[in-house]
Amino acid sequence: MNFLPLWRYQSQLIEGAIVTLELTVISALAGLVIGIAGAVALKGRITPLRWMVRGYIELFRNTPSLIQIFIVFFVLPNFGLKLPAFEAAAVALSLYFGAYSVEIIRAGLDSIPRSQVEAGQCIGLSGWQVFRHIILPPALRNAYPAVTSQFVLLLLGTSLASQVAADELFHVAGFIESRTYRSFEVYAVICAVYFAMAMSFKALFAVIGLAAFRWPRRR
Amino acid sequence: MALVEIRDVHKTFGKVEVLKGVSLDVEEGEIVTIIGRSGSGKSTLLRCINALESVDSGEIRVEGQKVHAKMPGLKKFRQRVGIVFQAFNLFPHLKVERNITLAPLLTGRIEKAKARALAEDVLTRVGLADKIDAWPEQLSGGQQQRVAIARCLAMAPHLMLFDEVTSALDPELVGEVLKVMEAMAKQGMTMILVTHEMGFARNVANRIVFMHQGRVWEQGPPARLFASPETPELASFIASAK
Amino acid sequence: MRSFSLIDFASLFIALRWTVALVVLALLFGAPFALGLAMGRISRFAGLRWTMAALIQVIQSVPLLGLLFFFYFGMPVFLGIQVPALVAVTVAYTLYTAAFLGEIWRGGLEAVKQAQWEAGACLGLSAWQQFHHIVAPQALRLSLPPTVGFLVQLIKGTSLASILGFVELARAGQVVSAATFQPLLTYALVAAIYFALCLPLTLWSRSLEARLDGSR
Repeated sequence: MNFLPLWRYQSQLIEGAIVTLELTVISALAGLVIGIAGAVALKGRITPLRWMVRGYIELFRNTPSLIQIFIVFFVLPNFGLKLPAFEAAAVALSLYFGAYSVEIIRAGLDSIPRSQVEAGQCIGLSGWQVFRHIILPPALRNAYPAVTSQFVLLLLGTSLASQVAADELFHVAGFIESRTYRSFEVYAVICAVYFAMAMSFKALFAVIGLAAFRWPRRR
Repeated sequence: MALVEIRDVHKTFGKVEVLKGVSLDVEEGEIVTIIGRSGSGKSTLLRCINALESVDSGEIRVEGQKVHAKMPGLKKFRQRVGIVFQAFNLFPHLKVERNITLAPLLTGRIEKAKARALAEDVLTRVGLADKIDAWPEQLSGGQQQRVAIARCLAMAPHLMLFDEVTSALDPELVGEVLKVMEAMAKQGMTMILVTHEMGFARNVANRIVFMHQGRVWEQGPPARLFASPETPELASFIASAK
Repeated sequence: MRSFSLIDFASLFIALRWTVALVVLALLFGAPFALGLAMGRISRFAGLRWTMAALIQVIQSVPLLGLLFFFYFGMPVFLGIQVPALVAVTVAYTLYTAAFLGEIWRGGLEAVKQAQWEAGACLGLSAWQQFHHIVAPQALRLSLPPTVGFLVQLIKGTSLASILGFVELARAGQVVSAATFQPLLTYALVAAIYFALCLPLTLWSRSLEARLDGSR
C-alpha cells in the first residue's frame, strides 16, 4: 500500500470535489423546484396532470439512476438534445431528486391537521396567509429530515456521473488511477473524501435545523 | 333585527341529515347555550354560523349579512365572529404573543408597535399576562384554551362561538376557562355556546336551546327549562346529565 | 452494426440472472449482519452501540460505487491473494445491505413500545426471550414496508456492478446498445425491465404500510 504517489494530484481531487458539490447543489435545487411543482399538481383538481405526476414519480423511483443518466446522455441526442456530460447528469439527477421530493413535500404539507387551517381561517386570515404562516413552517420542519437525508444520498449518487465522464470526484479518481496504478489507494482516498463531505453536510444540516426550528416538539 | 338569524336550516352529511330545519334568533348581548345529545347537530349548527360548514337549504344571517361558504367578504366576516374549538388549535410553532397578534397584524387591524400591548391586554383579561412569551406546548390545557379565547378577543369580535371548549380538559382545569367566559358574558359579549357544562348553562346563560335529532326541540330561560321541561326528551336528557 | 433482434431482446432477459443473483447474495449475507447491527444498536452496552452506529454511519456516508471499488481493489491488497470479482462485489453489497437494513430494523425495534418489553419482564421472561417472542415479531411487522422499499434500492443498486464487468441488466444494455446503435430502444427496454421488477415491490410496500396504518 503506497499513498505517496497520490499526493501530487491534490488539486485534481479538490477540483473533482468542487464539481461534485456543484452537481449536487444544482440537482438538489432543480429537484426541489420540481418537487414543489409536483406536490402542488398532486393537490390540484386537474386529473390528467395528477396522473402524469404520479407516472413521473413511479418511473424515476423504480428505475436505476445510472440508466436514467445513460438515457439523458446517450438517447436524447437522437431527439436533437445533445448535452455535455455534466449537464446531462444534472438533468437526470434533478429529475431523480425531484421524484423523491414530490413525495416528501406532499407528506410534509399533509402532516398539518385540517384543524390548524380552520383556526387560521377563523381568525380572518386569507388562504395565502394561512399557507405562509400556519402551514409552511411546521411542514418544513416535518419534511426537513427526509429532504436532508435525500440530499446526502444525492451527493453520493453524483458518483454515477463518472460513467458518462463528467469531471466529478469519482471520474477524477479513475484519472488518477490510470496515472499512478495505485487503484486501491485512490479509491480509498476518494471514499474518505466522500465521507468527509457527507458528514460535513450532516453536521451543517443539524445546526441549521436547530437554528431554524426552535419551537418545542409535541410531547 | 337580531344579531344572528337562523331560518329553517337543513344540512346533510353524506346520507345522514344532521340539521332538519333549524330556526333560531340570537339578540345582541345574549348568552345562548345549546345543549343536547351527541349527534343532535349542535356543533354542526355552530360551524354553519361562521361558514366552516355550508348549509344545504335555509338561511343564516349575521348582522344582516347572509352567511355561506362562498360569501364575498368571508375573511372580513370571520374577523367579526370569533370561534373557540374543543382542541384549542393554537399554532404550536408560534409563541403565545405571536399566536395572538398574528391575525391583527396580518389583517391590518393593528400596527407592529402596538401589537405587544394588545397581546398583554387580552392576556390580562384571561388571566395569563405572565405567559406572553411561552410556547403553547408549555401550557396546560386550561391555559391553552384561555389563550385561544384571548386570540379571538384580539380581533374584537361582535360574536363569540364556543364549541365544547371544556370537553377536552381535565376536570380541575375547567373552572378557570368558565370563569373567563363568565367575565366576557358580564361585559356584554354576544355568545353562543355548545356545551355539556350544565352549571354554566344554568347560571350564566340567558337562554338554553335544547337540540334533538337535528331540530330545536325546546328553548327558554334556564330556570324554567331545568325546573320544568316541557318535553320528555329534555327531561330525560337533564336527568342523564346529572 | 446489426439491427435489434430477438437475440438482443433475449440477452437482456438472460442478464437478469446476475441481477437476481447479486440481490440474493446481498440479502443472504447482509440480512443476518443487519440483524446483528440492529440488535447491537439497542444493546445495553454503550461501547457496542457506538461501534455499530459508527460502522453504519461510515457505510452510509460513502457512495455504493465507492464501496464496490474499495473492496474490488482492496481485498487483494489486504488478503494478499487474487479475489474473484464476485466475492469482492458480494462483500460490498452485503455491507451496503447490512447498514441500511440494520438502520431500518433498529427503527422497527425502537418503535415497539417500551411497555411491551416490560410486559414480557413481568411474565418472568429473560431479555433474550422478550426480544425473541414479543418484541422482534412486532418489529418485523413494523419494518416490513421500508424493508421492501430497500429491496427496490438494492435491485437498482445492482446496476452498478455493470461497471466492474458483471453482465447484469445494465451492462447487457450497454453491450446491446453499442452493437445495434439503438440506444433508445435498448435503454427503454432496460428501464422497462427494471420498472417491471421494482414497481410491484414499491406498490406492495405501500399497501403494507397502509395496512399497518389501518390496524394501528
